[in-house]
Amino acid sequence: MNDQGYFGQYGGSFIPEILYSSQQELLKHYREAMADPSFVESVKKEMQQYSGRPTPLTHCANLSAQIGGAQIYLKREDLNHSGAHKMNNVIGQGLLTKRMGKKRVIAETGAGQHGVATALISARLGLECTIYMGAHDIERQYPNVFWMKQLGATVVPVTTGSQTLKDALDEALRDWTASFEDTHYLIGTSCGCEPFPEMVAGFQSVIGEEVKDQAMAQIGKMPDKIFACVGGGSNACGIFLPFVGTDTELIGIEAGGCGDGVGEHAKRFHTDQAKFGISQGFATMFLQDEEGQLAPTHSISAGLDYVGVSPILADLSDRGLVRMSSARDEEVVAGFKQLMKAEGIIAALESSHAIAGGLREAAQLSPDQNIVINVSGRGDKDIFTIAKALGDEPFKDFLATYLEGEK
Amino acid sequence: MSTLATFVKQQRQQKSMLLMTHVIYGYPTIDESLQMMTSLLEKGVAILEVQFPFSDPVADGPVITNACHDALENKPKLSQCLADITKLAAEYPNTKVLLMSYLNPILQYGFEALAADMQAGVAGIIIPDLPIDHHAMAAPLVEKSVDPIWLMIPDMSDERMEFVSQHAQGLLYCVSRKGVTGQGSDSQSEQSQLESYLNSIKKHTDVPLALGFGISTAQDIQGIVGLVDVAVVGSALLRAYQNGGLSEFNEKADELLTVQ
Ligand SMILES: Cc1ncc(COP(=O)(O)O)c(C=O)c1O
Repeated sequence: MNDQGYFGQYGGSFIPEILYSSQQELLKHYREAMADPSFVESVKKEMQQYSGRPTPLTHCANLSAQIGGAQIYLKREDLNHSGAHKMNNVIGQGLLTKRMGKKRVIAETGAGQHGVATALISARLGLECTIYMGAHDIERQYPNVFWMKQLGATVVPVTTGSQTLKDALDEALRDWTASFEDTHYLIGTSCGCEPFPEMVAGFQSVIGEEVKDQAMAQIGKMPDKIFACVGGGSNACGIFLPFVGTDTELIGIEAGGCGDGVGEHAKRFHTDQAKFGISQGFATMFLQDEEGQLAPTHSISAGLDYVGVSPILADLSDRGLVRMSSARDEEVVAGFKQLMKAEGIIAALESSHAIAGGLREAAQLSPDQNIVINVSGRGDKDIFTIAKALGDEPFKDFLATYLEGEK
Repeated sequence: MSTLATFVKQQRQQKSMLLMTHVIYGYPTIDESLQMMTSLLEKGVAILEVQFPFSDPVADGPVITNACHDALENKPKLSQCLADITKLAAEYPNTKVLLMSYLNPILQYGFEALAADMQAGVAGIIIPDLPIDHHAMAAPLVEKSVDPIWLMIPDMSDERMEFVSQHAQGLLYCVSRKGVTGQGSDSQSEQSQLESYLNSIKKHTDVPLALGFGISTAQDIQGIVGLVDVAVVGSALLRAYQNGGLSEFNEKADELLTVQ
């Protein structure tokens, strides 16, 4: 990264002038905090004592045998408090918010995972919390909305545009332009203006750092390949960055959705529907039309349903240091089921993209090779979507009965 | 000196305040938006700001954001927008026409191409998500004498005001308060804060000043006479249109134009 927050041609800061001073302030506080061993220690302590880190590296003997290729290991970010890697980032930024003396945080959320994580840390740190969430997403993800509200957060439905994650991000930025004096924008992924991509990737890098130690202890060498799903890119950055430039191959798996048409997927690589663009505060590959309007996206997993991608990953991909691939919805559901049945691990649908990608390539490797797949989150939160994807009829009966009982 | 700045300074010899009105290209339809523009031009507004809609307008409040999304349903093209407003600018030489849009649609069109296509009739451009730090991106416009209109904001450091002033030409857009477009609020102390803010800008530059965000009535405009050269009205006209169509829109414009 250069000193203006660029990663190759990506990144930078493209925000309305009104946000300039708060962005500069954040940058300054972030640099100071990271240079202060007591802050770094407090983040580490909270990650251990609140979120349960380190998360394990789990060898999957059954799954590896079924696939008949490489040994498959899972990095268990699903075992974080809140059930996803999102917790790593909110701990870091939450403590930074306190350090900056701000009393309120705002956040965007798609599926609600980052919203719930932000509401949890806000409750713990005594911060006021407002979550922006697309009205469509609120309809689809009510259980998460329920928890955010129970935790004391204000959930604001965003009714503009496509009413999904990108619009929630726009709305959070608008809030910030009026509230920056006492409010920190706690972005959920390694996107946005400087220093957000670097900061979120930095707090998430604990994932990859742990994998290094665990691989040495459990395998005796570094893995041959690491797979991670890529929405905004934070779990991928987190597990990849400590390995960039080593012999371990890094593979990001995007949401292939249900097809290659506009609005059927969320692939920002290997498609001519995505081009270099600047929006939402930063430069990256954005899905967009020829007029530069950001395009609709689809994924079976709400967490990968985003038009842009981390500038860090866009750059690493350009430089050949990360290889981007994708998995379609049906392949994702198949990978999800196979892991669940073989190992008794229920992965999030987002993470199941990485699993699908990993299983596909593990088959071509030999049993003395090793791969690590990042299980960014647990899947029991996806019960509604998964029950639907698996076509589970009794689940509908249950919902009907539940509603009946309420009358 | 920039033709836009010269124009504003000349007009200001007869008028205590110039009006800059805002229309979204393509809202509610392309034809109707052109009608709104024409009617403002007929009335002789000094400056017409035409917003080319973008899917993610982060500096705009709900009224303009929603209208932009409606406008996008009509699949507006920037090339056509430029052709349409260049034509209007030629028909109404007493008004200066400005383009407003966000960075991404402009980037896809290309700054070089944009400069070439604006040169004939569009005097300047406002890009709210292009910070002054990236002024070099706008160089092709400057080369073709199209003025990038930079933003000033309250509580800006002196150093940054100076930085913006160094690149200012044509017009400076002074944002009256924090937040997004379309919200008003005024009190006595805010008025004196506003005055000291504008005075500090004037220490750095003699480029004409426009003041925007939250100006919605003739009374609001009256309140800033003597402080700036241009009053910018955006959401208020749009709201009038949404309430009562072109006739209420026209009434609102007439009201705003009573301050001369
Ligand atoms: C479990 C899980 N994995 C992955 C993601 C995608 O985000 P990112 O690409 O930033 O890791 C999300 C986002 O909500 C998530 O909840």
